[in-house]
Amino acid sequence: MQTENADAMKQHFTSVENSMNHSGEGNGAKGHCKSPKEHLVQIGGPDVPAYWKSMEELENGPRYKGEFPGGLPSADARQETTRRDFLAAMGFTLAAAGLAGCRAPVQNAIPLLVGSDEIIPGVANFYATTCRGCASSCSLLVKQRDGRPIKIEGNAESTIFGGGTCATGQATVLSLYDDERLHGPLWHGKPASWQEIDQHIADTLRASEGSKREIVLLSGTTNSPSTRRIITEWQKRYPNFRHVEYDAVSLSAMRAANAQSFGRAVVPHYAFDKARVIVGLEADFLGTWLSPVEFARQYAANRKPEGVPALHVQFESGMSVTGSNADVRVAVPPSQLGLVVVALLRRIARKAGTPPVAGTQDPIEAKKLDAVADELWKHRGESLVVSGSNDISIQLVVNALNSALGNIGKTIDLVQPSMQRSGDDAAMADLVAKLQRGEVHTLMMHGVNPAYDYPEPEQFLAGLEKVALSISFSDRRDETSSHAHVICPDHHFLEAWGDAEPVESHFSLAQPLIAPLFETRAAQESLLKWVGHGETDYYNYLREFWSTDIFPRQKETKNFDAFWERSLQDGVVAVPPRPTGAMPKDIMQKFQADGKAAVDKIFSEAAAHGSTTGDHFEVHCYETVALRDGRHANNPWLQELPDPITKVTWGNYAAIAPSVAKKLNLSDGDVVKLTAGKRQLELPVFIQPGQDTRTIAVALGYGRSQVGRAGQNVGVNAYPLTSIQGEYRRYFAGNATFEKTGRTEKIGTTQTHFSMEGRPIVLETSLEELHKAAEPEEETVPTLWTERLHGEHAWGMAIDMNSCTGCSACVVACQAENNVPVVGKDQIERIRIMHWIRIDRYYSGTEEEPVSVHQPMMCQHCQNAPCETVCPVLATTTSSEGLNQQVYNRCIGTRYCANNCPYKVRRFNWYNYTENPQFDFNMESPLGRMVLNPDVAVRSRGVMEKCSLCVQRIQLAKNTALQGERELADGEIQTACQQSCPTQAIVFGDLKDPNSRVSQMQRNQRRYKVLDELGTRPNVSYLKKVRNPLETA
Amino acid sequence: MSTTSIRVNGKAPAAPAVGAGIQTPVLAPPVWVDENPSLRDITDDIARPLEARPGKGWYICFGIAFAALLNLGGMVSYLFAKGIGIWGLNNSVGWAFDITNFVFWVGIGHAGTLISAILLLFRQQWRTSINRSAEAMTIFAVMCAGLFPAIHMGRPWDAFFIFPYFPNQRGPLWVNFRSPLVWDVFAISTYLTISLVFWYLGMIPDLATLRDRALGGIKKFAFRLLSLGWNGSQRTWARYEIVSLVLAGLATPLVLSVHSIVSMDFATSLLPGWHTTIFPPYFVAGAIYSGFGMVLTLLIITRSTMNLQRYITLRHLDKMAKVTMLTGMIVSYAYLTEFFAAWYGGNLYERYHFINRATGPYAWCFYLMVLCNVVTPQLLWTKKARTNVTFLFIVSIMVNIGMWFERFVIIVVSLHRAFLPSGWGMFYPTIFDIGILVGSFGLFFTCFLLFIRVLPMIAMWEIKGVVGHGAHKMALSSDEEEVTVNA
Amino acid sequence: MRLQLVLMGVVGAALAVGAGAYQLSRIGIHQGYSPEQPIAFPHKVHAGDNKIPCLYCHYAARTSRHAGIPPASVCMNCHTVLEKQTVEIEKLKEAVQQQRPLRWVKVHNLPDFVYFNHSQHVVSGVACQRCHGPVETMERVSQVAPLTMGWCLQCHREHAKVPVGELERAAVGLKQRQKPAAGLDCASCHY
Repeated sequence: MQTENADAMKQHFTSVENSMNHSGEGNGAKGHCKSPKEHLVQIGGPDVPAYWKSMEELENGPRYKGEFPGGLPSADARQETTRRDFLAAMGFTLAAAGLAGCRAPVQNAIPLLVGSDEIIPGVANFYATTCRGCASSCSLLVKQRDGRPIKIEGNAESTIFGGGTCATGQATVLSLYDDERLHGPLWHGKPASWQEIDQHIADTLRASEGSKREIVLLSGTTNSPSTRRIITEWQKRYPNFRHVEYDAVSLSAMRAANAQSFGRAVVPHYAFDKARVIVGLEADFLGTWLSPVEFARQYAANRKPEGVPALHVQFESGMSVTGSNADVRVAVPPSQLGLVVVALLRRIARKAGTPPVAGTQDPIEAKKLDAVADELWKHRGESLVVSGSNDISIQLVVNALNSALGNIGKTIDLVQPSMQRSGDDAAMADLVAKLQRGEVHTLMMHGVNPAYDYPEPEQFLAGLEKVALSISFSDRRDETSSHAHVICPDHHFLEAWGDAEPVESHFSLAQPLIAPLFETRAAQESLLKWVGHGETDYYNYLREFWSTDIFPRQKETKNFDAFWERSLQDGVVAVPPRPTGAMPKDIMQKFQADGKAAVDKIFSEAAAHGSTTGDHFEVHCYETVALRDGRHANNPWLQELPDPITKVTWGNYAAIAPSVAKKLNLSDGDVVKLTAGKRQLELPVFIQPGQDTRTIAVALGYGRSQVGRAGQNVGVNAYPLTSIQGEYRRYFAGNATFEKTGRTEKIGTTQTHFSMEGRPIVLETSLEELHKAAEPEEETVPTLWTERLHGEHAWGMAIDMNSCTGCSACVVACQAENNVPVVGKDQIERIRIMHWIRIDRYYSGTEEEPVSVHQPMMCQHCQNAPCETVCPVLATTTSSEGLNQQVYNRCIGTRYCANNCPYKVRRFNWYNYTENPQFDFNMESPLGRMVLNPDVAVRSRGVMEKCSLCVQRIQLAKNTALQGERELADGEIQTACQQSCPTQAIVFGDLKDPNSRVSQMQRNQRRYKVLDELGTRPNVSYLKKVRNPLETA
Repeated sequence: MSTTSIRVNGKAPAAPAVGAGIQTPVLAPPVWVDENPSLRDITDDIARPLEARPGKGWYICFGIAFAALLNLGGMVSYLFAKGIGIWGLNNSVGWAFDITNFVFWVGIGHAGTLISAILLLFRQQWRTSINRSAEAMTIFAVMCAGLFPAIHMGRPWDAFFIFPYFPNQRGPLWVNFRSPLVWDVFAISTYLTISLVFWYLGMIPDLATLRDRALGGIKKFAFRLLSLGWNGSQRTWARYEIVSLVLAGLATPLVLSVHSIVSMDFATSLLPGWHTTIFPPYFVAGAIYSGFGMVLTLLIITRSTMNLQRYITLRHLDKMAKVTMLTGMIVSYAYLTEFFAAWYGGNLYERYHFINRATGPYAWCFYLMVLCNVVTPQLLWTKKARTNVTFLFIVSIMVNIGMWFERFVIIVVSLHRAFLPSGWGMFYPTIFDIGILVGSFGLFFTCFLLFIRVLPMIAMWEIKGVVGHGAHKMALSSDEEEVTVNA
Repeated sequence: MRLQLVLMGVVGAALAVGAGAYQLSRIGIHQGYSPEQPIAFPHKVHAGDNKIPCLYCHYAARTSRHAGIPPASVCMNCHTVLEKQTVEIEKLKEAVQQQRPLRWVKVHNLPDFVYFNHSQHVVSGVACQRCHGPVETMERVSQVAPLTMGWCLQCHREHAKVPVGELERAAVGLKQRQKPAAGLDCASCHY
């Protein structure tokens, strides 16, 4: 009689019900070979929003709320049930109170009106599409259940990204069900119909014709070829049209540098898997930089200790995910970064015998630089130097360095460059100037939010006032769109058709997974309408474009329909690259000519900030793996995702070095006033080992003032600290000071102790040992228990600590798959996070140069589980297949199991996190609950929960095998964390099958089990982390 | 005094010798009641609180206790409505005040059973004037204890899952007999039952007395019902003696078993600080220690407020102080053993735990515990201290505090820093943690204060046995030879 | 006299408690639940008299966790060609014309937190009647089985060759370890 469970299960059924009806409309949405118009019934059309129809709980919802979901007997169709149970209740008046909850509420089932062979209620389909979480445009496979996309997975078909995803990508599915998205277009803040808006805009555009004033489309990186085509249509139609691309965090200096060095204004496509030596300069390529999923995959593949692992040296100011994985990490303030590059180039030039490079000073101890230079030189042509700095002179020197090392064309591909960042700072600055001069007539803004992330938002807004017509495609009233005349909300990418070209000639298609939830319209469709193009249906236009532009470039098939079908099914297409002009092989001579200036500039820059001593600091602004540039700020999953390094959730902070903290006697949470130039921020400090002593790191993407309930005013906006130096944005500020305010703020961190206390938790080994040792010494702790018999399977998992970068994609993936609730900052401060998988991060070494490890930790599914013996009611037991199973409706919540769990992986539902106004996150809103996985129960208050090794996936796979009358194949079952992992650090499988991947990993000599000496016999084992430090002579 | 009773320890002297009137050394019989009241006085004195209106003191105490009880009710209902989240517990520390209070209250109970059962078997006469109230205390303490396992789940309507019953709709599904929590259920319920029976049985003769004194009305009716038609006939008394002996025999092992089983909640788990074999004896000693502390507190209050100094004499307090001191020192020894074992065992986690216990963020709790449980008993070496009422009262309070913190240290300090440093955290009590702790005291004292108003808080018939009006043959059912000599 | 009174009291109390306990144990069991449906659909006529196989309408049961209630379009497969007209059939056609989905009342509601998969059972050859009773004879569907965990386990144990009786099972358990069977794991239904 789990009264609340009825509550929870209602979730369960509700979702099924919605879906049933939902699929009715959702149905054609992914009918990939047909025009969407054939089937797409616009949900939420002018009549009553369709998807409420099935949600009968919407009307009589309140009755289920609270402690006794059954509520009181009411006079509707529920007579039979209530009477019978009421009589039962009469039997024992004592129980009457409890019984109110025992009345099963009448449950309705609403079938589709018209059946479909594709939609079978309860059966999930997967469709390929392209992620729009950021401009990296990863290829996805999205799980659609009863017409609702509920889980994002990586598309293994993609040769670039593999099957992995990032945390942000995983979370985008929740943004789809964000009920704070606009429900329709707004004209001057008031709801209007698309017809009137189109009319208005058409008129204004006509008015602009002939006038000097420009029509500008301001967009983020646009790597969708079909959209680029639409933009050319505009250029044809309106001579005064201009397209400006703007990235909040841009690489435009790199593109300019490449233009100067190689004659191509592109971002190169890097091959980290081909490099034996990787030198990163303030480039968090495993976390946030350019294309982290792709790079993480290459990186991990390249560092398998079984082969010859690549050496990775990282120079950076703040501790990044990448830095935490590096073999050698050197803390350098941003301003001195250039000196490092020059110093390296100087050494390489000496070895190469090319004319010497000016200057002699070394920003860090020379012998480190020597060692790095030696390694680089030793691996000429298979090394890689990348810099995330947006300073053109640094990028020029890096180019020189790479070409001197002969990496161009080997690890750096400029022939098929990356199209993942094409923002142009100069163009943006020019636009702002134009706006202020009133030279812009119409401004269309897509996927940008300058009022929030531009260094001088005031100036931008001032200019925005002057345009005749400002149009935003934003999905909500945000800092920028709320100042626009018109908001024409674009679809969420899971509702939209589209395509992308992340890397030159590598295409990725996007198809809708669900009919639009609101009265939104694809931006491309709007653009087509307004430009007066014949074809105003984006789907037709896209298909047309592919038939004329991409189809001819491939050789496989002659039949376009077949090609289109297959492309949609696979999601990705690669065609031969476009012919390009010759690439200058060696640019050193060229560099001699114009490199001088760059080097001098670097020296002057460094000198300018050289004074950064004592109480003057540099502030380094960086992206976090969760919020990135801030566009996902209203996504509670991301807000609650612990930062891979600091483990802080819900907000940003000023990361300072321990020594600085000691000097100024600051402790975590002390709020300081940070002053850089005319900008001031107040935010709490966080003491970060490995943080450069002269630098304070502050995360971007926080402090949104207009975004929605979840993200509103969480943290502080750090963009004002960025600036425009010359033509490029600079993401650090010099000569910053900070003083205590005396206030303190709680920091919601999920891990409070960062030392392993010398315990055997994360075991490390060195290459030598590895090559010495033969087989893993099979030590078995004696046990008093009888050996467990296993059924036909013995499920187990192996995690390669060497591959795990700590990117945290698995954490969000697990949350999405297993309906893990969001609990909010307050509960996090009380150490009550609900994540089933956490990534423990430990430091060793000194505070200045810490060595860090990331350890994914979830239920270890012990054979002799300590939790199992202590549960008084057998709510947690070990299955015949080695799973430690938690039975929610048997659990009475003594928490004894959690106390006795040495891994502390059990999570207790301290409150009802569903339909509880106290926790106003996605599970509170009916729309937000549509993301719930119907195959996993929504836990209610007072029960324990934990990782189940995705038992629902195991059961599903068994069932499919049963239907196909075949055996389960190895790798057929992938847990959510495993599927999302870009580096494939996690492997799940059957330990009974000696050939399964997991069995093989368990035989690996690096294999060990955490806290094995306790005799818990976990079914999850880990592979030791291998260190190969750089010998500095 | 015409007769004095001579005890010849060991072998009895031959009868003729007695006849010859040979003087043998004469010892005064132990006197456990001052001022040598008449049997009637005893009855009057003890029945007074039941018949007279209580004094101001009682009303004040009751007012406070009842307020606390109401607060308990309020907070517990809020807990049931909202969830365990309102407490300060978290992923690292799953138990804190709830189980601390549970163990604390169970411990308190033990003194009662020890006094009434074990001391009966050992023929300790001094128990006669304190056993009744001590047993009452046991029952109320166990009630308080039972409260916490029930509420610490936050969903009492599911609590029935913990009772094995057949048939049930679930397959049938049994409980996990390997789980100490299940053993607890059996131990505590047995304990409560036996204690209740023992207590009630001990009261029957007195209830009969009260029945006869009652002037009629509801009171008389109630006492008639309760005294089960007691007629102090010789046969009745004889059987009565046997039954109480048998029950004492039954209750004695419980004194040891109950807290041993409670201690296994911790001993059988693998947490450093919990996973210790010395827990059972250590817990039992602690239980008796805390129990006597509580008995002292209660009796010192009641003897003055109900002016029963006559019956609860300084000699009684002295005896109890001695027991407190002894058990206190056993507990101190256990503390030492724990540290020694941690050092000698050389287990990484165990060592860290005990270093953390003494130097970690909760060190102050540890030192408070040491102060109350190790240092305080040492003050009781001198008779002067043991017979100074105010001093004893302070000591007894210290004992209670110390023992509560002992359990807090064992539970919270072990949990907050377990095996994986990534799972470490702190526990901070919320207003509800504290409120419910206070509330449990409210429940305890409300019950006790009501008890001393409606039931005889001292066993009249047993007292009468030891005041030495010749009637004492009955009371001290001794197998030692009794010789009366004419002076 | 008094003795008799006492005895009667005791017996009475015992009876009351017993009855109460029994009632309590029946809570949440809705055997015989047979709610009124928006359309009085007679399974007797379709599955019984006309021998339409269950899986023709409830086709999802073969592949899905839900047996699914057939879309109105499936009904119309036949009812467009059948000229027999009744009030109920009119209701159906009206609903189809108005594009208004029918809101059927679920008869078989499992207890909370149980995951039941129809396809798994259908594919394993469990007859529909085993759980749903002789639906083909029912005018209005009503719940036959208690749908309690014990009831499920009975069948699962039979298939796992585990004694169904409590005592036999205990005996086996004491003698030697039982062969583990996935069908008896908690996690095969609870997650």
